[in-house]
Amino acid sequence: MSEEARLLAELHAARALMRAPGAAALADRSAQPRHAALWAHATREPGRPVDLAVVRAIRADPDAARRYRTMLGAQALAHAPRAAAASDGRLLQRRVGPFALEILGGEAGAPPLLVLRVEQGPMPRTIEVWLGDEAVRLDLGPPIGDAILLALDPAVPEADALGRMLRDPACAVFLL
Amino acid sequence: MTGGYDERCAADLAGVGEGRDLSRTDRAWLARVVTGAVRPNRDKPLWDVAHALAALARAAQARDGRDLVTLALDPGLASPAALEARFAGRADADARGPRLGEAWRTSWTGLARLLALAEFVLTAEDLAQFATLAGWLDELAASPDPEGAAFLAKRLSRHLTAYRTAHLPLASMERRFRALLSFLGGRRAFGDADILAFWQAEMRAGERPGFRTVAEHFVTFEAGAQLARGLDGLSAPASLDAHDGWEERLDAAMADLAAAEPAEAVAGLLADWPDSPKILTGAERADLVDFLRLEPFHRTRPLTTLRAASFGRVQSGIANRLRRGGGGPDIAERAACSEAESYTLLRERTQALAAHLDRMLRIAAALRLTERAGLSPETRAVLEAAEADLRRVRRAGFDDRDGLALGFAAVEAALLRVAEETGRLARALDGLARQQPLETAFVADRVVFADAFKAAYAGEAAA
Repeated sequence: MSEEARLLAELHAARALMRAPGAAALADRSAQPRHAALWAHATREPGRPVDLAVVRAIRADPDAARRYRTMLGAQALAHAPRAAAASDGRLLQRRVGPFALEILGGEAGAPPLLVLRVEQGPMPRTIEVWLGDEAVRLDLGPPIGDAILLALDPAVPEADALGRMLRDPACAVFLL
Repeated sequence: MTGGYDERCAADLAGVGEGRDLSRTDRAWLARVVTGAVRPNRDKPLWDVAHALAALARAAQARDGRDLVTLALDPGLASPAALEARFAGRADADARGPRLGEAWRTSWTGLARLLALAEFVLTAEDLAQFATLAGWLDELAASPDPEGAAFLAKRLSRHLTAYRTAHLPLASMERRFRALLSFLGGRRAFGDADILAFWQAEMRAGERPGFRTVAEHFVTFEAGAQLARGLDGLSAPASLDAHDGWEERLDAAMADLAAAEPAEAVAGLLADWPDSPKILTGAERADLVDFLRLEPFHRTRPLTTLRAASFGRVQSGIANRLRRGGGGPDIAERAACSEAESYTLLRERTQALAAHLDRMLRIAAALRLTERAGLSPETRAVLEAAEADLRRVRRAGFDDRDGLALGFAAVEAALLRVAEETGRLARALDGLARQQPLETAFVADRVVFADAFKAAYAGEAAA
């Protein structure tokens, strides 16, 4: 009899879920990008065309932004919501999981260089950083030995923005 | 959570259903899998989803879990046809559907459902477990074989069990059904009197469930009784061979049970009813929701429907006042049921609503059929009468004919269903009134309900 009561309870819950109006909940959600659209955005190749509706939703809607970052974090080799140590100055070094990030140089007319190192393990292919509602995604290029070098060329707006954002301790970093 | 689920679970399911544009049947299947109403083994769908993902990992040559997440979330792969077009003839699929090893296979239709389930487990709790699940899929992609699938299946069933514990109060509902079964003492048939007596017993036991809630449990019991009897026979292993294809039959029966929820569709239709044109006022909608919520009892058990509408409303008034801690008449006054609406009054309101809905249906026809040259004189006369009716209606939005035609067109199907069900309730009440004077029944019931309320809420009434 207990098995019968259990089945009836499960059926009752299933029937209740079928009748859940959900309309109100869905009205809120209908304006939001679907899971698939957020995921496509989270896994896109840098530089490819983006779905502007998704970009707008991530900027404007904290819920969409949270879902998007969850998806980014899920596929990232490493990610950090902010720099580990508090700092009053502008950061030149920080760790993201097993990876060490450092910004070098920038003198004598040469652009600053982002150096990403890891002791061992797979190397990321893409970096995405978030500061407030601003985001930049860049291809990291192939590693040279145990390091990846990326020129933060002031003439390339996205690379320049990456350097500027990385120096802020509140910047979230995703290595994909 | 008296309905047996929380908002989170409803939203998780709705997200998948909307995103994939699932049919009502597939939504019902997914809801059953989530609540566990699957027999003989409630973990079977998770076993299947793990194997389906392993088969897809091979067929799509998935490099890692990311590729599997992409497959599971892609609304472009939501239909059996799309899946067949993409994967038929691959190494791990034939014309009928995907395979894994010698032992596991499913159809394209089955695969489409399983991907909906995959999306559900991935995105449940608003993605709270997404990273964990994606990690599991990484491991599956690394070894997409029967062993990897079996391991994932185990993880998924633990995962869904935890989800049920967090979001579905199944234990308390199981207790209620156990009490109901023991109350009926093995009987499957029950009447209005049994529903009332069981509710009284639960009230005396201190549970204080709503009369409507108890009636809803009887709705499920009535629908499931046939099924449960089938299960009794199946629990004896010797009989399994005798029930060829029983698993499919059981599944079909349960699917009917969860999908055949027309009243909920009516409740949903009424909840989503547009405000303009004012075909139904807020009060009319509230009445209809009250009258039709216990589908199919509004057709088959008009007395229980009246009790729920009259005294159920009194009881939810008491419950609301206790929750708010004040407002309106005090508990003792409410418990006396002096505010309860008489059955005669409720029947009159039903008749008025049925007549109103019929009139609205004729107006809908008149708005739709503007070209009447080829129609019979009788039909034309009906439509002209509806036109005259339309001119007499004094409701918001009824003075703008074009907007009105659009408004009616948008709710036509809903209007037809609501009108039909209201008409059925009106006829059921006619039948009841022929058997016994409604006023006598109401006066007798008021004593019963007032006694039960006074005893159950005595503490709060005195406070």
